[in-house]
Amino acid sequence: MRSSSYSVMPARTLRAVVVLALAAAAVTVAPAVRAETTAPAASTAPALAAKPYMGWSSWSMQSSKYPGLNPDGDYSYLTEANVSKQTDALAAKLKKYGYEYVNIDAGWWRDNAWKPEYDQYGRQQADPKRFPSGMKAVADRIHAKGLKAGIYLPAGLEKEAYGDGRTPVWNADGCTTADIVHSDLRTTNGWDSSYQLDFSRPCTQKYIDSQAELIAGWGYDFLKLDGVGPGSGKSGDQYDNVADVAAWNKAIAATGRPIHLELSWSLDIGHAADWKKYSQGWRIDTDVECYCNTLVSWENSVDDRWDDTPGWTRHAGPGGWNDLDSLDVGNGGMDGLTKAERQSYATLWAIAKSPLFTGDDLTRLDSYGLSLLTNKEVIALNQGNTPPARPITPSDPQQVWAAKNPDGTYTVALFNLADRPAAVSASWASLGFTGTAAVRDLWNHENLGTHKDKVTEALPAHGSRLFTVTPHGSTLAYTGYEAESPANTLTGNASVADCSACSGGHKVGNLYLGGKLTFNDIVVPKAGTYQVKIDYVSGDARSVAVSTNGGGAANHKFPSTGDWSTAETVSVPLTLKAGSNTITFDSGNSYAPDIDRIDVPKSS
Amino acid sequence: MTTDPSRLLPRRSLIALAATTGAALAALPAFTASAAPKRPVNSAPYDGSSPDTLWWEAPADDNSMIEQGLPVGNGRLGALASNDPGRELLLLTDATLWTGGLNDQLDADGQFPYDRDNFGSFTLLGRLTVDIPDHDLGAVTGYRRTLDLAQGVVTTSYTRSRVTYERQIFASRPDDVIVLHFTQSGGGRYTGTVRLEGTHGEGASVAFGAAFPGGLKYGAAVTAYGTGGRVTVSGSQIAFVGCKDLTVVVSGGTNYAPDAVKGFRDPSLDPERLARTKVRDAAAHSADTLLRTHVADHRALFGKFDISLGTSSAEQRSLDTWERIKARTGSGDPDPELEAAYVQFGRYLMISGSRGSLPLGLQGLWLDGNDPAWMGDYHTDINIQMNYWMADRAGLSACFDAFTDYCVAQAPAWTDLTRRLFNDSRNRYRNSSGRNAGWTVAISTNPFGGGGWWWHPAGNAWLCNTLWDHYEFTRSRSHLEKIYPLLKGACEFWEARLLTTTLPGTSREVLIADSDWSPEHGPLDAKGITYAQELVWALFGHYCTAAAELKCDNAYAATVSGLRKRLYLPQVSPKTGWLEEWMSPDNLGETTHRHLSPLIGLFPGDRIRPDGSIPADIVAGATALLTARGMESFGWANAWRSLCWARLKNAESAYRLIVNNLRPSTNGSNGTAANLFDIYELGPGNGVFQIDANLGTPAAVIEMLLYSRPGHLELLPALPDAWAKSGSVKGIGARGGFVVDLRWQNGKPTEALIRSVGGRTTTVAYGDTSRSVSLEPGGSVTLKDFAR
Repeated sequence: MRSSSYSVMPARTLRAVVVLALAAAAVTVAPAVRAETTAPAASTAPALAAKPYMGWSSWSMQSSKYPGLNPDGDYSYLTEANVSKQTDALAAKLKKYGYEYVNIDAGWWRDNAWKPEYDQYGRQQADPKRFPSGMKAVADRIHAKGLKAGIYLPAGLEKEAYGDGRTPVWNADGCTTADIVHSDLRTTNGWDSSYQLDFSRPCTQKYIDSQAELIAGWGYDFLKLDGVGPGSGKSGDQYDNVADVAAWNKAIAATGRPIHLELSWSLDIGHAADWKKYSQGWRIDTDVECYCNTLVSWENSVDDRWDDTPGWTRHAGPGGWNDLDSLDVGNGGMDGLTKAERQSYATLWAIAKSPLFTGDDLTRLDSYGLSLLTNKEVIALNQGNTPPARPITPSDPQQVWAAKNPDGTYTVALFNLADRPAAVSASWASLGFTGTAAVRDLWNHENLGTHKDKVTEALPAHGSRLFTVTPHGSTLAYTGYEAESPANTLTGNASVADCSACSGGHKVGNLYLGGKLTFNDIVVPKAGTYQVKIDYVSGDARSVAVSTNGGGAANHKFPSTGDWSTAETVSVPLTLKAGSNTITFDSGNSYAPDIDRIDVPKSS
Repeated sequence: MTTDPSRLLPRRSLIALAATTGAALAALPAFTASAAPKRPVNSAPYDGSSPDTLWWEAPADDNSMIEQGLPVGNGRLGALASNDPGRELLLLTDATLWTGGLNDQLDADGQFPYDRDNFGSFTLLGRLTVDIPDHDLGAVTGYRRTLDLAQGVVTTSYTRSRVTYERQIFASRPDDVIVLHFTQSGGGRYTGTVRLEGTHGEGASVAFGAAFPGGLKYGAAVTAYGTGGRVTVSGSQIAFVGCKDLTVVVSGGTNYAPDAVKGFRDPSLDPERLARTKVRDAAAHSADTLLRTHVADHRALFGKFDISLGTSSAEQRSLDTWERIKARTGSGDPDPELEAAYVQFGRYLMISGSRGSLPLGLQGLWLDGNDPAWMGDYHTDINIQMNYWMADRAGLSACFDAFTDYCVAQAPAWTDLTRRLFNDSRNRYRNSSGRNAGWTVAISTNPFGGGGWWWHPAGNAWLCNTLWDHYEFTRSRSHLEKIYPLLKGACEFWEARLLTTTLPGTSREVLIADSDWSPEHGPLDAKGITYAQELVWALFGHYCTAAAELKCDNAYAATVSGLRKRLYLPQVSPKTGWLEEWMSPDNLGETTHRHLSPLIGLFPGDRIRPDGSIPADIVAGATALLTARGMESFGWANAWRSLCWARLKNAESAYRLIVNNLRPSTNGSNGTAANLFDIYELGPGNGVFQIDANLGTPAAVIEMLLYSRPGHLELLPALPDAWAKSGSVKGIGARGGFVVDLRWQNGKPTEALIRSVGGRTTTVAYGDTSRSVSLEPGGSVTLKDFAR
């Protein structure tokens, strides 16, 4: 229904056929066959989440110990007055750039001691001190500003709502809370704060329907369902909330109101198909907030996203997006980040096609923060008809992410995740072409002219650059070498395995604890550094030492492909000599990705 | 704890010491008013970029200065520069800005306190920042910076909104200031602030002065001027608005005086005032004039030596210095131009860090904080000696003087401390004879006459032997006269310390060193350690030669000569096959220990030679020990190993150790940082800069190309395959008083020019052939047609 309309490797299937047909160790792939030029035609735009949503969320400020934010105890920032204030600021400063959702997060039905309020049907209702006018009035006020309203609920039946099991379910004759949970009152969600709902019982969907009717009636446009498993730090049947999510999807449809359903947090990628089927977005990671004296910090846990996003990339698309969590880049002091870190944070969110919702105090954006949040070119990239970028190099401290756009240009982001400045290069060869290209700097709104072979920039610690690259050169021709070819040398446990996603239907796996794969007789006409493409499979991020001709090895971390049945590609610069070479992938004393195939450019 | 000035040496005893040592104590303080700089006439202007230029595509930041900051220095006043477009940061140093003092209250074990208060530490003078907010690194493109080793200029360039900006940074010795010159082309303007801050709590100000509790005064000052805009002092900072170009001039220093009588301070000197004067005087000139003056001064030294080890590939040349370092290790392919540049970088550090002030310590002139490892001090059990092995070999004899001047100036205090404290009953290294004479040092020394850590009896001999080597290279009579009292004092120390013993199972009486620690492993109290025996044997020999050449102290020289003949010299262990480190057949230490103390007779000493001059089993034992020490140490330890292999004419082992030092240092690991500083891994993720490898490794490169001892030169004794194809070197200093220019092709010398700088006769060997050369001082001869 809502599978991604963008394939990161659209030519893969096609190429696999070619490889089978030729069935040789060294496969020459003509550029025309290999070309990854056209993006698939856009599918019909879905009603919800046609683009990553944009807006504001209350949680970052609620969760922070930044002075003055939560004067009445933890999470006390969330009040009607504060939501109104942020609504006004969003409308005044950010609405014209596309920001539209004002999302109320956890605690709207709880007092400052976290004591909850429910109606007589066990449904959350506004805490009278936080929201004296009630939740409908808040939504009305948001709507009056031309914005959309978001609300929050945890997965399952909250324990406090159980009420000895005798609490009636709204609009469900005879159903009480005892009829919607398991008789052993097993708990669920990321905090075990709810009883798991038993959807084999007819009353259970009614309860979800009753909640959906309530928030739809109030006029909410967005629901964040939190603590959802598998995910939220939990696994196993007790924490499997797929049925909850399906029930919510059904219940929302029944209300007739388009309500965006967003799932949180660290959703299990193994259930990506479920999340895509039933929701409009899913948090791929833990909270970005640091629960410290600032809203976030680089190490805890902004920087995790560079490793955790790539496995999810192919699941993003119109109708459902990978949610990287709040974009807290609006005020350096409150965010707890350097300028460089804030730009990198915004860059990754933008190119990964994450929703862009900030958790900053919109009344206190600094000028740099405002410039980041309102950069029209970067927003257009996030919201436009371009696929999400993913790493085209290994996930080393200096890494390059890219996406090929429907118009033939490339989105290219340079990142320096090291703690010190470094030069970072994007080689045109790693994008699959050679020659020159025009480079546009999106953050700085500048054309940087024509660059030959690559673009290199000096990046500060944790810094980034974001470009649109328009190639003027020609498609690079490659010679392909299958990992499973009998011409290769396998050492240790390394062995050939079936792999339906792999070219040739096979890969080399079991590269662990000394396992090694050596491609023999890699022939290039001229000595030089070649951007060698490596197709690989790795359900988690894994490192491998790559060397040529028995020389010094460079250790590279390959980003996760999300599961063990998906192949992705990264390019690694390798120094080759004229004539025959060997290329070795050595697991060393660790576990390496499975290798499908390598493609060596015919020119360096 | 602070040092009470009254604890400095009593004045009377010092004058007496000065008389006995004969040392000239009239040296000027390090930071002092100087005559108007000599401006070059018709000198070649700064020419953009010389072939000896390193380049990078990224700057440093505040957290990476020791590994990415680029060093500049005028021999005394130095800085590490970040070269960040939006925030230029200079960490300023003066070689004399040391905390601490004489440190003459021994600890309970009779050894020296080794801390930052009593012993002291080398510390920063200040931080200079030039903020240009519009030039944030995230907004500029085409960033590049270069370090022109030949001209001594750091240049940064980048584009911001189609304007090309460029800045040059250099440390001028003639003007005694550091200059930052900001220019642009394309209609750009500079707007921002200049901020000078102390690092000892002085805060920000355009000039500051302060004093340590021990009495050392220091100060610094900055000024700025530009065109096309406004430059004003705004509170504690300088603000510049809309300037087409901008020049920032900074200077500073201390009232350190290399004079034990004065307690190493000149109370009449006001460093802040002097710094203000220096920046004002320099600012009276255009940046271009300051640059030309500096370049002429720097080139005069740099140009005395040149080296080519072969041609690198276009691919190698296309990489910035850091990528190139990584590629060198990654590919394993030789990069002859990079390897030659590493030599020149070492020379650049020496020119920048060792002129007219204190010598280069563990980190040379460069710091990134006030807590350098081992105080950034002078370690006398390898490190300071290694720092100066390169000087004479690489055309920088003038830079050696800082080391000589240091030893001469410290000697009265070292003598006093030895006399008063060495035979303290708590000192395990005291002379068991009860006698005490002359002088020695601790393992660590500071610039105030003080020692740190443990006593180091043989340290005096190693310092003297290093001073002596300079004489052999230069044949400078004035140098010999200067160091003679130090040599004599060291001999007197050993005359009092040596013990007579009868070798077990024989009736042979020999002299051995009293209880000592072979640096820095094994038993703490071993008699007759090879390290001491070899050093004293060499010291006694040098002293006798010195006395003969100066025609003085005949009788004492005869005494010393007699002692020398009775000195025990090490034998090969029948158990290990190694030259013994202790007078024991057993391996009492760590097999792969970093120090090569028992091989000191192989290098830097010259007793153990693979030429049949001593029994073959000694050479074999030394080779076996060197082999056992291994190839996988770090920085200076690799450099020392390389020098030893060069002496043994094992070119490939010598080269492998040099290559090992070129490994990229990542996350603090042993190896070469982006800025080419050598990094030693103190612990996981914690690397510290140690300059000795930056200076010792070039010495090894040169030793592989030319071996010399008085009267004998050998061309290309250990030329590795990587450099064999073709190469040349100009200006190698040779012991015996010669300078050699050498060319080779296909592993064979094609031409050797021998110039005398005082030497008269020498043999010149290549392979199995040898010829004699006789020259008048100043004369030269070109040799060709070498056949192996």
